[in-house]
Amino acid sequence: MVKFEKHILPNGLTVLAHYDATTPMVTTNILYRTGAKDEDPEATGFAHLFEHLMFEGSINIPVFDTPVIMAGGENNAFTTNDITNYYITLPAANIETAFWLESDRMLGLDLADGKLETQKRVVIEEYRQRYLNQPYGDLFLLLRPLTYKVHPYMWPTIGKDISHIEKADSASVTRFFKENYVPGNAILSVGGNIRPDQVFSLAEKWFGPVPAGEKKRRIIPQEPEQTARRELTVYRDVPADELLMAFHTGRRCDRDFYVLDLLTDLLAGCESGRFPNVLVREKEIFSEIDAYLTGDADPGLVIISGRLKEGVDIGRAEEAVNEELNLLHTTHATDFEIEKSRNRYESHHLMALISASNKAFNLAFHEHLGDAANINSESDKYMSVTPEEIIDTARRTFTPSNCSVVKYLAERK
Amino acid sequence: MIAPDRNIQPETITPTVGVIPEPERVILDGGVPVWLVGSGSEDLLRIEFVFDAGQIREKHHLAASTVNEMLTEGTELHDAVTLNGIIDHTGAMFTPVVDKDTAGLVVITLSRTLDRVMELAAEVLFHPSFPENEFRMLMERRVQRFLTNRQKTSVISREMFYNTLYGETPYGRISRLEDFKMMTTAVARAFHTEFYRPENLYITVAGKDPHRAIPALNKYFSAQKRDKKNTADVSQETVNKGREHIFSLMPDSVQSSIRIGWNGVCKNHPDFPALQIANTILGGYFGSRLMRNIREDKGFTYSIGSLAGSLRFAGFITIITEVANEYREQTLKEIIKEVNILRETKPSDEEMIMVRNQMMGEMARAFDGPFALAECLRGVLDHGLTVDYYRNFEETVKTISPDKIKELFNTYYNPEDAIEVIAGAK
Repeated sequence: MVKFEKHILPNGLTVLAHYDATTPMVTTNILYRTGAKDEDPEATGFAHLFEHLMFEGSINIPVFDTPVIMAGGENNAFTTNDITNYYITLPAANIETAFWLESDRMLGLDLADGKLETQKRVVIEEYRQRYLNQPYGDLFLLLRPLTYKVHPYMWPTIGKDISHIEKADSASVTRFFKENYVPGNAILSVGGNIRPDQVFSLAEKWFGPVPAGEKKRRIIPQEPEQTARRELTVYRDVPADELLMAFHTGRRCDRDFYVLDLLTDLLAGCESGRFPNVLVREKEIFSEIDAYLTGDADPGLVIISGRLKEGVDIGRAEEAVNEELNLLHTTHATDFEIEKSRNRYESHHLMALISASNKAFNLAFHEHLGDAANINSESDKYMSVTPEEIIDTARRTFTPSNCSVVKYLAERK
Repeated sequence: MIAPDRNIQPETITPTVGVIPEPERVILDGGVPVWLVGSGSEDLLRIEFVFDAGQIREKHHLAASTVNEMLTEGTELHDAVTLNGIIDHTGAMFTPVVDKDTAGLVVITLSRTLDRVMELAAEVLFHPSFPENEFRMLMERRVQRFLTNRQKTSVISREMFYNTLYGETPYGRISRLEDFKMMTTAVARAFHTEFYRPENLYITVAGKDPHRAIPALNKYFSAQKRDKKNTADVSQETVNKGREHIFSLMPDSVQSSIRIGWNGVCKNHPDFPALQIANTILGGYFGSRLMRNIREDKGFTYSIGSLAGSLRFAGFITIITEVANEYREQTLKEIIKEVNILRETKPSDEEMIMVRNQMMGEMARAFDGPFALAECLRGVLDHGLTVDYYRNFEETVKTISPDKIKELFNTYYNPEDAIEVIAGAK
């Protein structure tokens, strides 16, 4: 049970506080409800570029990192298709430094001379390092536009095309800031050795004066139902073929998410899953294979990705995966399998909540999805999944017309 | 309410590490030492089994990692599929771990299944059966992983760096495709018999009320016959050969991976804590000289860092970065420039305060929570040290002088005898 208190400031900022006396530290986690999906299709990669710029100093504070270090803290951030999330962890006695820094960069950024140009170069190097200079690095750059034809999930956080970053100018960056970095679009979640009343009074003091601003209303086009199987074949200089299959599913907060979370665990969550047992050990089709959910705020995907064994035909591999998925349409998962997934969920769930900083993030994440209190009902939802629901969800999800396939084949030289 | 003053940082206290808890040591009936680290609020225990069975013990290359990966591929009692089903059904996470110096298993378990999980841990650690078919499949998987790694500039430059530093010793040798073909279950079995022995083992237990683990550990880890420790120190010949420049051509890569480095010192050397601080100034945190110059000023890279590390019998210093091929020469020049500045000019008082606070904060976070504490403990036990190491480290961070920093750069970071390794396109 994660206890917390919630308060909304007049300017619209949501503040959550979780008190944990077992740690000497505090984490401030600030989640902006802006991710890659909120970008203009002609200016993609901005949410992530912006994450970089948020560390380049703000209107009253020329250097962001120095005060964090002087207070004994660490900080970082990440961007997804749905959100941009920033955190600072520091000794509880120095908590006010975090409020000072985060509120100042919500007030405004310092984009003086060349900072934007330098961070554009850094982001381009990040793109090369993560996507171009790694074997199999571009797999998901290929999958997204195959699965999404309308919804902005079609591009990755790094951007649809790196030229969008190259072209970014300070006017468009400033506009992006004004539209997105406003109190009403943010959730501040504080976890650790500080009492909620102190959190709320510090929030009033530092964030209270930040103008409410105007959050841009966006209408995000929703993906229509996929009606036919899609396939893309590419050849790359890699040692082994890879099969990637994706099926559309619902939102992170839908019932299907929990059913599919258990279902993918039963398939490939652990060494004794059906995929390792049947497709790796018994049939020797894959050398490794995984199955998981993207868990996005808007309708997301179930992804199956497998590295093929030498000499196996990729069509045969896809067929073998489908045989396993089809079994789920008709046959109940065994009690042993369901119990196993529940036990594994229990320990992984405890592990995920072991630090105050994780709890602070998870509270903000659930608030973003609808209600922070849902952090405490996650377990029950997972534990109540029945074998009948698994069959029903599998039938609706794993159909040929709902499937997109990337065949990533090793170039025969 | 008065508007807050946004131009000055709110008052802060200088970060401190606080009291470093003394771990409790218990000896099992059979003689195996267990270190207990108690704190935390969740009902999970982390139990780590550490054997002196790392790559330094290998006569056949790949033996240590093969044995470690085969532990959960079948035992005298259960075949691989049954065994993994039983383990996963407990909800526990079993992670075999192998490195240059040690090998073993990390187990994270719910306390209600503790007894059964410890029984399974003993089964996989002491009674693996090395079945031929699972062995063959594992080696095929490893070859595929190996071939994929051959395409990563970062992997190639890392391997060439350690190979140049340590030569054909277990710390330096590079795997070849033939090594996988020459590995057999007989070799694995012999390695296991020789090194996965109770006299080569220590255990750490971390979590809420760690004493709870002792009865189960006594039950399952005291039965094995214990002999005199049969592992001797391995001396590593590390000769400073003078400056070396090595280039590995990877024609299709869009970035080059760069490693520049030197021999360092081991963790139990008196200079080691001070060297950590010097290295942090150069490349150990976001505000370091290398990050500020090469990422934040020039934008040549997504990340650059420097590491002063210690294996059990040898230390090393290595600067690591990935840059676009066209920025490569400029980056090399800038790295050497930054090193030379630190050899010629001592850091300012402001920078010293900054790095002291950075390191104190880092230490305080490293001791936050039972699982983190257990990892800190391992970090000293493997080097024959105690947690006093951290107390000494803290004292060094507080008192080190700028002159000492300059002296360390002159002793350990000499561009004239640096090993420079690059993997990338022309």
